[in-house]
Amino acid sequence: MDVFRDVFRNPLGLTVPALTILIVVFGLPTVFFFFASLNAPEYSLSNYQAFLYRGANLRILVQTIEVSVFATLICLVIGYPTAYLITAAPKRARIALTVLIFLPWLTSGLVRTYAWILLLGDNGLINRTLLDLGLISSPLALIYNRLAVYIGMVHIMLPVMILPLLSVMQGIDKSLMAAARGMGARPFSAFWRVFLPLSLPGVRSGTILVFVICLGFYITPQALGGLRDVMLSTLIATQIATSFNVGMVASAAFILLAIAAVMLSVFGLDSSGKQAHPDRSHRKDRPKSVFRSSVLTKGLGDRVRAAYWARELYQQGDASNWLALAGSVFLALVMTFLLLPGLLVIVMSFSGGAYLEFPPSTLSLQWYQSFFGDPSWTGALWTSVQIGLMVAVLSTIVGTLAAYGLSRTTPRIRSSVTICLMTPITLPAVVVGVAIYFGMVRLGMLGTATGIVLTQSVGATAYVVAIVSATLANFDRRLERSALSMQASPLQTFMRVTMPLIRPGVIGGALFAFIHSFDEVVQTSLVSGFSIRTLPLKMWENMRNELDPTIAAIGSVITLMPILWLVALYVTWWRAGPSARKRWLNT
Amino acid sequence: MVGAHVGNLATACTEAASSDGSPPAQIEFRNVTKMYGRTAALRDFSLTVRRGEFLTILGPSGSGKTTALMILAGFEAPSSGDILIAQKSVAAVPPFRRDQGIVFQSYALFPHLTVRQNLEFPLEMRGMKANDRLAKVDRTLEQVHLKEFGSRMPSQLSGGQQQRVALARALIADSPVLLLDEPLGALDRNLREQMQSEIKQLHREFGKTTIFVTHDQEEALTLSDRIVVMRAGRIEQVDAPEALYDRPISRFVANFLGEANILSQDGSDTFKGGAPAGKVAMIRPERITIRSFAFPSVDLEKRQSVMGHVEEMIYAGPLRKYHVRVGDEVLVVREHVASGQLIFQLGDRVQLSWLRSDVRFLAE
Ligand SMILES: Nc1ncnc2c1ncn2[C@@H]1O[C@H](COP(=O)(O)OP(=O)(O)OP(=O)(O)O)[C@@H](O)[C@H]1O
Ligand SMILES: [Mg+2]
Repeated sequence: MDVFRDVFRNPLGLTVPALTILIVVFGLPTVFFFFASLNAPEYSLSNYQAFLYRGANLRILVQTIEVSVFATLICLVIGYPTAYLITAAPKRARIALTVLIFLPWLTSGLVRTYAWILLLGDNGLINRTLLDLGLISSPLALIYNRLAVYIGMVHIMLPVMILPLLSVMQGIDKSLMAAARGMGARPFSAFWRVFLPLSLPGVRSGTILVFVICLGFYITPQALGGLRDVMLSTLIATQIATSFNVGMVASAAFILLAIAAVMLSVFGLDSSGKQAHPDRSHRKDRPKSVFRSSVLTKGLGDRVRAAYWARELYQQGDASNWLALAGSVFLALVMTFLLLPGLLVIVMSFSGGAYLEFPPSTLSLQWYQSFFGDPSWTGALWTSVQIGLMVAVLSTIVGTLAAYGLSRTTPRIRSSVTICLMTPITLPAVVVGVAIYFGMVRLGMLGTATGIVLTQSVGATAYVVAIVSATLANFDRRLERSALSMQASPLQTFMRVTMPLIRPGVIGGALFAFIHSFDEVVQTSLVSGFSIRTLPLKMWENMRNELDPTIAAIGSVITLMPILWLVALYVTWWRAGPSARKRWLNT
Repeated sequence: MVGAHVGNLATACTEAASSDGSPPAQIEFRNVTKMYGRTAALRDFSLTVRRGEFLTILGPSGSGKTTALMILAGFEAPSSGDILIAQKSVAAVPPFRRDQGIVFQSYALFPHLTVRQNLEFPLEMRGMKANDRLAKVDRTLEQVHLKEFGSRMPSQLSGGQQQRVALARALIADSPVLLLDEPLGALDRNLREQMQSEIKQLHREFGKTTIFVTHDQEEALTLSDRIVVMRAGRIEQVDAPEALYDRPISRFVANFLGEANILSQDGSDTFKGGAPAGKVAMIRPERITIRSFAFPSVDLEKRQSVMGHVEEMIYAGPLRKYHVRVGDEVLVVREHVASGQLIFQLGDRVQLSWLRSDVRFLAE
């Protein structure tokens, strides 16, 4: 009992497990790695000089930034109107659209990239259709160029841009716009003067998040881009796989890290300074807002917060019918872009012929048989499930404890520790992967299941902390006090009062942890040491070598899985009773 | 080690409670100060609550009432000073060993439990058997007139019903000390009076030490043995209701508790009412006699009088209130409606008079 009381008295104690894993697996290796990049103990910048003096490297660096910037801009240009139109849609449509945006985000990036190969390849759906129609005589060069890279990256990153935008836009008080209109502002100027500025926090979170993730992109550019479209992350991964030149890898990783850090701090700090609120309640969750919205803590169930004004806005006036039509067409196009590739993979996976066709001329389950009949595939699936479960359990426990502890500390400590715990999913994935790889080598865990579980738990814990923290932010601490006053011990209070009330967040966190583990390729491929094959690793390997149609079957299985997750989540949520639902929607 | 000591203290309290009948729950705040950043929510707060006493804390919003309760309950640590329960410092006693029944200002009902489960919770935590709990919950639900609501969720209750559940939950475990933070704030007048007498009845019956926080002065006056008036984190005055109303020490207390006519400091001699320097004279509206200008009261030995004219008349059921302008001042007069009474109209010239002994001199 005394232990519990001490922990109760010192909430920071609850963050110890999560921080220990983070520091051992990621923090310390990063520090050592940094010193290695400086040629410790001599300390020199020679590695960086060597890196930057090589023209090829410099070109790749510039190209990485360029690709990331453009991909981010495209996401913003498509994502902002999309989010706006969804906010303006009637409630039912809004919920449906939000879920539809959310779905592809839950499906494996690998599968989505594979879908684009099927679509854009020389032998792919588009070329084949055009050839069959006699419109072209030889395949168009749709793949292995910059355009394909942008298509693939935007397809993957668009939900990440839209979801924070949505959550901010839905939170904008409709009466503000009404007030602006009441003061004589035209619809457009009401949008320009009121809505746009209020939606900027969402723009900021979405943009930073997308940009930083793009910096570390690895799979998509390599699968869809040409030989010239190499990104820094590909360079790093290749270096590790072939000749591990510590100086080279380290300088590349830290340059990438520096760009990401500069972006995060400049944008993060700058705009938070501008909107500095004296209000404590605002300040307390602002540092987290980037991450919070990024993981869609507000989006999933769709906050049924009134935002009808936006609809009013574009339904006003004579030109409004045209605008509404244009809006619907635009939304339809975006949704098609987001969802069609996945659907095509699912349909084509039932092809009966020797290769994948659309529409399939005959139906068969042959690719499913080749998946489930091949022990190397089922073995990989089983490995992934096992690792996923372990990651989910470990990160849910340490993440929930940490979030709970953080909810009871001062806002200042809370925000700095939260930022630390979030680094693994905020920084470019390949940088994190390299640092962890370095650590795993030292710990002698390279190529072990424990190593992979720890690696993935670092990222998964970040998701759990973000989701559970968001749930806890809406949790009334007085309920705990009330339980304590009735002689419930702190442990009883947690189990009987706190836990039941934050359960949706914990379950959501566990699901995200599992999905994170199940999809992770970049870091896993680095630390697997070629001795353990998870499902995504094997898929990635097969994708690089030949276009194995079996991947379509796997792809449709793991695309359908998130839908099952959602149904499961929905059922838990529904069964939690009306009051819990109401609380949830108000979250 | 500390835990064991604390445990002993808690059991000592309960044992003593059962042996001599009256709970030894004497509570003492010793110079408690609570800082939130730079603002002091409580300043040098010292108060002794006697065993079995019904003490009300009254004060404007933000004056530190809730803070005082939360410190006593152990949810906040005082920045300085100490809390003693049964002559022992409870600085090291965690909230869940303090055995106090609490109604929180926001009710704090568990939203995931039914009304019945809410009430069972404190009993369960004390290890009571399911059968005994059932009977006890039934009895308590009846007491707060919520018999049919046992299986509802708190969100399906009205504000007043939630409040009664909260009250029931605080009472059900028979804690020797009750801390009630505005427990009747959301009730309508009838129910409020009903619950007031219920609380009073319970208090009379079981004699639990009760600290009751309210905004409502009438409630404070009817229920309490003593009233603490707070102002900006400090205790302004502590007294029995009658003494407090009759002899407020400051203008703040006089204004907070009932209506007060402050006789101007720099007005005519009559108006100063003989106030010494730094003090103001105050007369309660019901102590003023209003008479027609034509038939003034003449007992000028014992009485002071002024002339004025009626500026407003407010009819409030059994009472009639006049606002009478006297020079620059407006005095409020309150008169019980009685048959055959003269009713003054707007503009009527009247004489106001009062006993010299009814004038109070208050600190600014
Ligand atoms: N956790 C806190 N952090 C900072 N300031 C606080 C906190 N809790 C209370 N305060 C401040 O302390 C002062 C006293 O608050 P308290 O809740 O005790 O007032 P109260 O008398 O109960 O008011 P009310 O009648 O409105 O309930 C207020 O100025 C309040 O703003
Ligand atoms: Mg209060």
